[in-house]
Amino acid sequence: MPSKTGFVFCLTLTLILMAVILLPLLVVVLGSCVNASWLGLSSDLWSGSRHDIFDFSAFSYLFQNYGDWALFSLELALGCVAICLLVAVPAGYALARHPFPGSVLVEELVLLPLSLPGITLSMALLAAYGELRGPLLVLGGHLLYTIPFMLRVVTATLRSFDVGRLESAARSLGASFSQRLFMVILPNLRHAMMVGSLLVFAVSWGEFNVSFLLNRGRPQTFPAVLYDTYTNQSIQISSAATTIFLAIVIPAVIAIQWLGGREAADLEQGA
Amino acid sequence: MPTPDHIIASQPASRGAKRLQLAPLALCAPLLLLLLALLVWPLAHLLQQSLLLSEAPASGLTLHNFREIVLVPRYRDALLWSLELSLAVAAGSTLICLAPAWLFTRYSFPGKRLMRGILTLPMTFAGMIVGFLMIILLGRAGFIPQLLERLTGQPLLSGAGYRFPGLILAYLYFEIPRATLTLESALAKLDARLEQAARSLGANHRQVFFWVVLPVIRPALISTFAVTFSVSLGSFGVLLVLSLRHFSLLPLEIFTQYLAPPTDQGLASAMSLALLVVAFGTGYGLRRLARRMEGARA
Amino acid sequence: MKLSRIAVIAAAFLTMSAGLALAEQTVIQYDCIPNYANWGGVTKAYQKKTGVVVPPDMKGSSPSMAALEAERKNPKADCAYYSGAIGFQAASKGLHESYKPKGWEKIPAALKDPNGTWWTVHTGHVAILVNTRALKGKPVPRSFADLLKPIYKGLVVYDDPRFNGTGFTFVAGINAVLGGGKDLKAGFDYLKKLDPNILKYAKENSYNELLRGEIPIWINADGNGLKAKNVDKAPIEVVIPAEGTVTMPLVMGLVKGAPHLAAAKKYLDWLLTGEAQLLMAESFFQPVVPIKLDAALQAKFPPKSAYAKAKVIPLDQMAAQADQIKKRWEKEIEGGR
Repeated sequence: MPSKTGFVFCLTLTLILMAVILLPLLVVVLGSCVNASWLGLSSDLWSGSRHDIFDFSAFSYLFQNYGDWALFSLELALGCVAICLLVAVPAGYALARHPFPGSVLVEELVLLPLSLPGITLSMALLAAYGELRGPLLVLGGHLLYTIPFMLRVVTATLRSFDVGRLESAARSLGASFSQRLFMVILPNLRHAMMVGSLLVFAVSWGEFNVSFLLNRGRPQTFPAVLYDTYTNQSIQISSAATTIFLAIVIPAVIAIQWLGGREAADLEQGA
Repeated sequence: MPTPDHIIASQPASRGAKRLQLAPLALCAPLLLLLLALLVWPLAHLLQQSLLLSEAPASGLTLHNFREIVLVPRYRDALLWSLELSLAVAAGSTLICLAPAWLFTRYSFPGKRLMRGILTLPMTFAGMIVGFLMIILLGRAGFIPQLLERLTGQPLLSGAGYRFPGLILAYLYFEIPRATLTLESALAKLDARLEQAARSLGANHRQVFFWVVLPVIRPALISTFAVTFSVSLGSFGVLLVLSLRHFSLLPLEIFTQYLAPPTDQGLASAMSLALLVVAFGTGYGLRRLARRMEGARA
Repeated sequence: MKLSRIAVIAAAFLTMSAGLALAEQTVIQYDCIPNYANWGGVTKAYQKKTGVVVPPDMKGSSPSMAALEAERKNPKADCAYYSGAIGFQAASKGLHESYKPKGWEKIPAALKDPNGTWWTVHTGHVAILVNTRALKGKPVPRSFADLLKPIYKGLVVYDDPRFNGTGFTFVAGINAVLGGGKDLKAGFDYLKKLDPNILKYAKENSYNELLRGEIPIWINADGNGLKAKNVDKAPIEVVIPAEGTVTMPLVMGLVKGAPHLAAAKKYLDWLLTGEAQLLMAESFFQPVVPIKLDAALQAKFPPKSAYAKAKVIPLDQMAAQADQIKKRWEKEIEGGR
């Protein structure tokens, strides 16, 4: 029987960590629409002159001026999901179920970007493709970070005892490749593909360091709106931008947890 | 007699026809192409750039840039500070996140998934964003100092974000998700029966934890340390925003050498590669160690 | 079913990006910070007038020059805005196209390049911007010497000269203001003494933080402080230091190989018109073209006597020493334990 005191101790520490993580986010979300002096804080140092308790004007400002940046980020994220599914799923199947000489190296290479400093990767991409700076290069950077996630989820599922056993059983019963694909492999991969897609989406949406260095002109990715507004706009506006950012990322993260944290957890076990 | 399951599953599916050997390669082809284009080719370019003098690219390959990193005190300090900071953050986050990881693997309770979700949120934040959050919370006019001033009359902790503890806190903020997830997946593989056996032999909970569990999870701790170390090493967004005086980190130096004239591409490339080697080398080495420890146990 | 879903997503992606590309005419200006010299308001007015969008760009003077250098073979920007010396440096590196916008004759000879590779659009001065509320009762500093006092410990910010043109002008110019000689010793000694009072060497624009009181004392352009005080109604006081200040012409240039050449030229022409110059004057930067300012606006500027000791440092001289000065600052002031 697991220990009671252990439970309480771990729970308390975890709750403290949660509070630490949530505090700045709560402050920011409140800062986007609530008048600071109503919150009892020393007023204009924080929010400038505003009269209502709730004021959502910052949001309309953002939609007007940075709407296309948000759209661009969403497109990038969806594009990453599409490409990851098209590229990593077949490759994951091949690597997990039909390993060939060098397949271990391939997997290590794919996971490499996760352990490399982002600035090194950006510099490498710029060294090779400096002239192509722009949305396409940003997509390339995003793919470097998102393909490993999708590949890992797929290979982890396919290597798991159940799926391997099912496929081999089907094969030994004489099923052809396409029959195995549509009746055994894909249905079992559905869950992994969903989790993978959500992960890819969240990672691409939040990616900033590489995008910042590789993009030129406009539109930039949405996290660049955060950078922009934090340095140049009032607290309300930067908080509103952060709130929008969170509004997209939180559902994705929660959905991942709901569908099965185990796949997500497995991924993070280093490269 | 039907073939046992484990033998069926362990057989690679592609024994036999030569035709099947090409198919997996074909399936991997798009991935390989992307890897080549986005990873291998650019890194090769970076290597070439790092071996050339920026002012005199025609003078041939030289190790000058790499030597600069070690010889010039500013860059050497930046590298050392990067290492120190990353080691501290990796150690700190690994130890702290043992608690949530243990909680999630050993107990189940309502709201567990929500808690895990919240803990993994900061993983999607860029370093710069965390820096800004730190200033909003603990800057000179931050939320916490203002709140404390309201309550106690003194703006305690004002400007704490601009000091070293603030920097560490910011790094811990985005390392917590990674450390928790990595530890959790490693702990989940632990066999609970070991603990039960120890308890049935009369050990109390604390003894079980320190004498049975900790030694067994050592490889997990090491891999988590490796992951958090590599990620911290490469992050500069926080420092860019907090701009601590008289302190620098190697990734920030790379950023400066590349973006703020007078620029030195060769030096920036050399520093990037140095960072790569340290990050990857340490991470890989530690993970190999962890896997060997795990293997030895089995 | 999976495949058709993917196909739909991909198709949507492609059509949306194609759509966005055709959306509007743009002119790309490097260093177009909304809250610096009110570029936000200026570009908005231009968009209202012509429908052409000039998007914000957060790069400082030096990073803009670096970006132009990196993109020499495939320019992405149409024009760039810099603090005088850096703009001069960029032009001398051959990054600009010769172009004399309409209204060229009205610009004083000292504030432009005879061949049209750079010209001033407005002028500011290095000043001490103080958020009086954030000072919490401490006396407002009136001179550079005042800033050295221990009571201001951890309250002063100026921008990293490697990233920001105004910060560079301050670092390069303080020597002349303090009466130093060619070896720049007076200036660097001062910066060394100022270091303990510095909160941070900001790498990005700190206008917002000045407004909030996060940064109580910011050494930056007077125009920005005056805008904060008069337009954003923040408790800011703009102090022209007693020892004097550095006049800072802010220059622009047309990028060689600009992608939207015709639109860029029209934009640069417009920036010298009375309309645009008035907008800049309303943000408290001195217009370069002689225009009539009404008395109420004029009154909000500091009196001419405050600028009596403003030093004008030849741009070519500052530009020639720019790299050295940055490296020296990096070594002597910022670096080391």
